Amino acid sequence: MVKTQISKIQLFMLLLGFLFGSTVIMTPTVGAKNDGWLAILVGGAAGILLMGVYSAIALLNPSKTLVDILMERLGKVAGNILAVLYIWYFIHLASLVFRDFGEFICTVTFPETPMIVVIGLFAVVLLYAVNSGIEVLGRLSELLVPIIPIVIFIIGLSLISVHDFTAFLPILENGITPVLKAALSFLTFPFGETVAFLMVFPHLNKKEKLKKVVFLSAGIIILAGTVIFFRDISVLGSDLMARATFIPHLTSLLIPGLNVEPLVDINLLIGGGIKISVCIYAASKALCQIVGIDDYRTMTGAITTFCVVLSIWVHESTLDLFSWSEKVWPYYSIPFQIVIPLLLLLLSLRRSKSSNKKEKSLKG
Amino acid sequence: MYKRSRKGSKTENRNTSNDNTYTDTYGPIPKSVEDVNARLSEIFSDCTDFIQREISCGKNGLIRILVAYFDGFIDKRVLNQDVVHPILDFFSNTELNESRSIYCRLKECVVVNNDIKEAYDMQQAVDGIISGEALLFIDGDDKALVIGVKSPQGRQVEEPDTETSIRGAREGFVENLLTNTTLIRKRIKNPNLKMEMMHIGKQTQTEVCICYIKGIANEEIVREVRERLKKIKIDAVLESGVIEQFISDSRLSLFPTVGSTEKCDKLAAKLLEGRIAIFCDGTPYVLTVPYLFIESIQATDDYYDHAYFATFMRLLRIIALLVSNILPGMYVALVSFHQTVIPFNLMITLASSRHGIPFSPFSEAVLMIVAFEFLREAGVRMPRPIGQALSIVGAIVLGEASVAAGIASNLMVIIVAITAVCSFIVPPLIRATMLLRFVFLAAANFLGFLGIALSAVVVIIHLCRLRSFGVPYMAPFSPLTVSDLKDSILVVPIWAMVTRPRVLRQENARSTRGTKRQEVKAKH
Repeated sequence: MVKTQISKIQLFMLLLGFLFGSTVIMTPTVGAKNDGWLAILVGGAAGILLMGVYSAIALLNPSKTLVDILMERLGKVAGNILAVLYIWYFIHLASLVFRDFGEFICTVTFPETPMIVVIGLFAVVLLYAVNSGIEVLGRLSELLVPIIPIVIFIIGLSLISVHDFTAFLPILENGITPVLKAALSFLTFPFGETVAFLMVFPHLNKKEKLKKVVFLSAGIIILAGTVIFFRDISVLGSDLMARATFIPHLTSLLIPGLNVEPLVDINLLIGGGIKISVCIYAASKALCQIVGIDDYRTMTGAITTFCVVLSIWVHESTLDLFSWSEKVWPYYSIPFQIVIPLLLLLLSLRRSKSSNKKEKSLKG
Repeated sequence: MYKRSRKGSKTENRNTSNDNTYTDTYGPIPKSVEDVNARLSEIFSDCTDFIQREISCGKNGLIRILVAYFDGFIDKRVLNQDVVHPILDFFSNTELNESRSIYCRLKECVVVNNDIKEAYDMQQAVDGIISGEALLFIDGDDKALVIGVKSPQGRQVEEPDTETSIRGAREGFVENLLTNTTLIRKRIKNPNLKMEMMHIGKQTQTEVCICYIKGIANEEIVREVRERLKKIKIDAVLESGVIEQFISDSRLSLFPTVGSTEKCDKLAAKLLEGRIAIFCDGTPYVLTVPYLFIESIQATDDYYDHAYFATFMRLLRIIALLVSNILPGMYVALVSFHQTVIPFNLMITLASSRHGIPFSPFSEAVLMIVAFEFLREAGVRMPRPIGQALSIVGAIVLGEASVAAGIASNLMVIIVAITAVCSFIVPPLIRATMLLRFVFLAAANFLGFLGIALSAVVVIIHLCRLRSFGVPYMAPFSPLTVSDLKDSILVVPIWAMVTRPRVLRQENARSTRGTKRQEVKAKH
């Protein structure tokens, strides 16, 4: 069977788009106020480790998807249950991003448009993308993702005259606890969410580059996150930043004499789009693997529809969404993002060691 | 796949119903001149331009020869000089030698013309006659000679109207296939330049020629081209556009996945890059495959001039392509949804220019663009001498009167004008742009910038899906091929373009559809 493959650049761009995701409109480290940059660095360091764990799992189980790995390492019953839970997690993640997108558009650009219209149309476009296959998604991200940093760069540069570079002082005003909390939420959003890529990694054509690609993309996100944080805080100040709903958007509104609001929309469209597409792809692929269907495209339509409905239904308002993603999401994600992957890594390591020994004993 | 097979069977049905026209085999060639004469007269009955002549020569007029051809199709003077005259001379002067047949003699040492083929049955003989060759039959043999004395009539080689360039060869292709292939041979003096002839079209039997440079072109793609051409089942091929529609990877796409050109130097350059050309008799448009998106913004001038200008031109063309697609939509989105984005001073001008206009921005834009498309189409269809009248009417109606009458705003006129000018900068995509413009307009009227962005994403997804003979359409941007970026938006000087496009050398040249089929086969 000819396997669909993506190149390392395509995987890099996909990861980058995924990690940018909704971070282009929301700042997960908002709880740490002035010390957000510390939270970004700490959370980012942990995030790199976590993504290292994912890639290690992928490398120890070459050309196997998350579902295969779960089944193999944990047995059929436990593997199936966990796989179903993961599918739920991916769907939930996708619907959250859908909701982020809908909230942003309906709050900022189209206050009178029903959210279901915005999300529904977005879903139709994404369904087309997902149905085109992972190869096309890779090519798409190659074309579109480079726009995100360019836009961030443009906004940052146009704000150069209104910067207050001392706004992030004093350091650790409220002690280390809020920083660690914010770091946890930065770890789980967006780094831990890349667990969905365990369904995509098997498509990489050069396995030996996987670690490099993963680390590079995580590093770039940490850098970008820090830059965005310093940009926002030196423009808005810590009080305004703590109160704003969509921080990067508010920042972009402050550019003197120019309104670049649509550029933020575009960033969200690209980043969120890639995140949702990968989630839907992962969910439908996993579901198809569990029930034994060859073509994941049979499931995408149903799953996308479900995501759209869920995104409308799951939260009552913007504030509900925000407090939920700040207070519940990190802890809700821990088993999916940290506990199970670590378990899988340990099991895979043990298996590979024992198989190594076997090989050695055979040779000896 | 289902669609394709259904379509295939449909065309087949259509053809089989007409099958008895001439494609029946005519059996062997009779041995006597009278029979051949009668048989040909029967086949070509009611063809007044068909000419047969019996020549009797030798001692006592014992050797009888039949010459048959279509009047006007062949060069009579050449026929007389090279064929008839030598035969008469030869048999009146020489004794007959029984060891070798007259047929062999004629073939080997009498007929002066070099282009001689043998016909072993009536089918080949008829094929020769209808493709403009002369038939020579000698009494008592069951073979005939087909002699190529086609008259080189047709248009002179001249500069093509559709593709003009400031610098570069002025020669363009003509309708005659042989002239065209010669033009390429003259430019690429290399025995590796291969030309493969085939006939397509049940009724027209049009000559189609696959041309490529062995060693540079990808063999896989050549094989794929051959296969796809063989699969074509149609009555008539009057223009290469017919072939284009059959061999395109994505038949429903707005974007061209097969290129066509009228310029010799352009085609030579494409061949040298590793592309494959498909000549078609009767049309000056030569097809090139694989055709990528990037080719639509490339022009021959780019390579003959300094690289800085070429890079600048490429940038301009990309911008023009974007502008011609989304500018009207942008305007509508700005005016009806995103007034906050417009700078304040411009806002005042805009409001004053839109004052008193009865239409919404969307209907205003559609009105003006449709009016422009009317003018454009009229300019293409009408007889040339009336052109001036049209341009005057267009300038007055579109430019002045519509504003004075309060139908369109000044700004709208400017926007339509810029859109129109920009759309002509990238000729291969004119048709796609024309339709996409309305899509973007409608999307902008519905959802503002978000609508434009969503429809743009759909278009980009479509472009990323497309392949041309297995090569991704958006290469070298996606998949990113760094070595090929030298000839994309950035153009490096010609001395620095040391490698051929790498995307064309891909191992998997089959279409996506093809691979899918293989996958299915492999599974079962």
